[in-house]
Amino acid sequence: MNRSIERHRNILDFALSSLLRRKGKNVSLWVMYTLVVFLIAAIVFYTHALKREAALILQGAPDIVVQKMVAGRHDLVPVGYVEKIAAIRGVTAVRPRLWGYYYDAVTGANFTLMASDDLPPGTADIGNGIARTMRIAEGDFIPIRAVPGATTLFQVRKVLPYASELASSDLILLSEGDLRALFDFPRGFATDLALTVGNPAERATIAAKIAAQFPDSRPILNSEILRTYDSIFDWRGGMMVVMLGVAVFSFVIFAWDKATGLSAEERKEIGILKSVGWETGDVLLLKFWEGAVVSLAAFLCGVILAYVQVFFFSASLFEPALKGWAVLYPRFKLVPDVDPYLLAVLFFLTVVPYTVATIIPSWRAATVDPDAAMRS
Amino acid sequence: MREASRLMVQQLQLTDLCLFTEARYTRHPSMADLHSAFQDHPLALEHFPSGSLATPPRFRRERP
Amino acid sequence: MIALHDVTKSFNIGKPNPFTAVRSVGLTIAAARLTVLKGPSGSGKTTLLTLIGCMARPTSGRIVLSGDGIAGFPGGEEMRELDITSLPERFLAGIRRATFGFIFQHFNLVRGITVLENVMLPAYPTGERHGEVRKRAVELLSLFNVERHAHSRVDLLSGGETQRVAIARALINRPSVIVADEPTAHLDTDLSREFMEIVGSFKREGKTVLIASHDPLVCESSRVDTVVEMRDGRILRSGSAP
Repeated sequence: MNRSIERHRNILDFALSSLLRRKGKNVSLWVMYTLVVFLIAAIVFYTHALKREAALILQGAPDIVVQKMVAGRHDLVPVGYVEKIAAIRGVTAVRPRLWGYYYDAVTGANFTLMASDDLPPGTADIGNGIARTMRIAEGDFIPIRAVPGATTLFQVRKVLPYASELASSDLILLSEGDLRALFDFPRGFATDLALTVGNPAERATIAAKIAAQFPDSRPILNSEILRTYDSIFDWRGGMMVVMLGVAVFSFVIFAWDKATGLSAEERKEIGILKSVGWETGDVLLLKFWEGAVVSLAAFLCGVILAYVQVFFFSASLFEPALKGWAVLYPRFKLVPDVDPYLLAVLFFLTVVPYTVATIIPSWRAATVDPDAAMRS
Repeated sequence: MREASRLMVQQLQLTDLCLFTEARYTRHPSMADLHSAFQDHPLALEHFPSGSLATPPRFRRERP
Repeated sequence: MIALHDVTKSFNIGKPNPFTAVRSVGLTIAAARLTVLKGPSGSGKTTLLTLIGCMARPTSGRIVLSGDGIAGFPGGEEMRELDITSLPERFLAGIRRATFGFIFQHFNLVRGITVLENVMLPAYPTGERHGEVRKRAVELLSLFNVERHAHSRVDLLSGGETQRVAIARALINRPSVIVADEPTAHLDTDLSREFMEIVGSFKREGKTVLIASHDPLVCESSRVDTVVEMRDGRILRSGSAP
């Protein structure tokens, strides 16, 4: 047993010295490899952590949201529905929600306006993102251009806390009266209805009843709301496919380059090793260690760098891609969360192929007869 | 951070995270349906980068 | 002692250009003696060396090792006689590593690594402790007066120094048989004489030495015990040195 360990150690020692001998080539390989792992790991960490945040934060979302559809488009829901829906067994509360979007021409940003019960008329609570974009603070006035044409000023009562940016960054909360006046919102209508259901297991049946009773309605379950966020950054779509595809493709090219051959110098060295008593197995072990050392070092570095980038620097490198054309983007720090399964998959998809790619070209050279060195 | 957001969601009965503020269906993906992106006009191909990140969830796409 | 019985080695059998390097050779290499294989190039000396040194297997015939020096074979310490003709590759390699030390015509040192590492290389796969191998390597280097070059790269050494490093490497696994192929081919007279002195010291330690050479300085040296003349893969004559 001891001899076996010593043998590995000795060969590993020689593998390290071999790598250092060809420092330039191996360092550039390692850097490239690290970059690829970094890109993939950063994407994996970011999307996984964000999805987890969504799942936890949105637990408090309404049990069922009822929308009204007209000709397939989202329309306002009559407040008269409230009583009838409240009468359905299992529904404990129905709350009409009043909300909409507002485009601020000055900054080019989109805001979400929402009616809130506890605001005095003429005042507004604004999200931290809005305070940042428009550079206003508590006590300042925020101008909102109402439908009739004149701009109304609302005094900012409170800026919503930074800690809640993920949910409230672009919110402007107004009193119901102000909101209706601003948008000439027809009386007797609301944007949609938020239902509270006593027993979570009954949500689906209640939704079915609502859909049956009101054929023009569209009930959305809490579970569907949560599942929406399971599929953001779905690797099967759009930008994600491109990014991951590029990373995988570049890795394949680079492992291929490795796999297509040994230099003459390396071949000669293997011949010498065979002639001084190294067996084929010893030579292959050497090559394995050469590949494994670079692989493992690159994997560790890439993953650590990705972790730091995503969780300490809030994925600042990705921001341009994620922000897209939006003017307002929330600032938030993700809670570090790593899925070991995903890491293991990444490990097997990078370290294993690369190590194999290092051993394969050596196979031929390693099986050369020991007496070949005598003849050269 | 998470607690504050969770509280806000509960108080105001919010349904979405404020991530992509470019369009209605990227700001509130859970309220949107498959056709939301086409609400503007029938040939409205997806032109927001975030539209490809916040795709409609699979269960909506697979509905018969 | 190494005994060869009717050994033949052919190459490229079944291919367009087959040839037989060694034909029906019967030979005994005495232990603790210096045997020289003499003959022109193409006479099969090198092939015979590879067969004796467990680097290749004969096409037909038997090779038997006997005596105290058999090492590297599990249970070999108790064996008085071992027929290596049909041993599996793994065992053959083990015996080769522990019993034989090779000095090649072109030295075959690995460029780019230090002298010390070159000398330690053959011992790496044996699983011996790194520290002990290193100690032995340093001792060997000082034995041949090249210790001061231990951490230099091999490319920077002179011809004579390189050869001494090659000899040190051949000794690292404490072999009982030394095999040298044309060792004086790249050396001047003084260095060749030095080499023969080193060979003399091997004999004194009880090692068996086998040299293939057509250099008169080697073949006609007083230290030689047996000369085997070869031509076209056959032994012409073998006998004690004159």
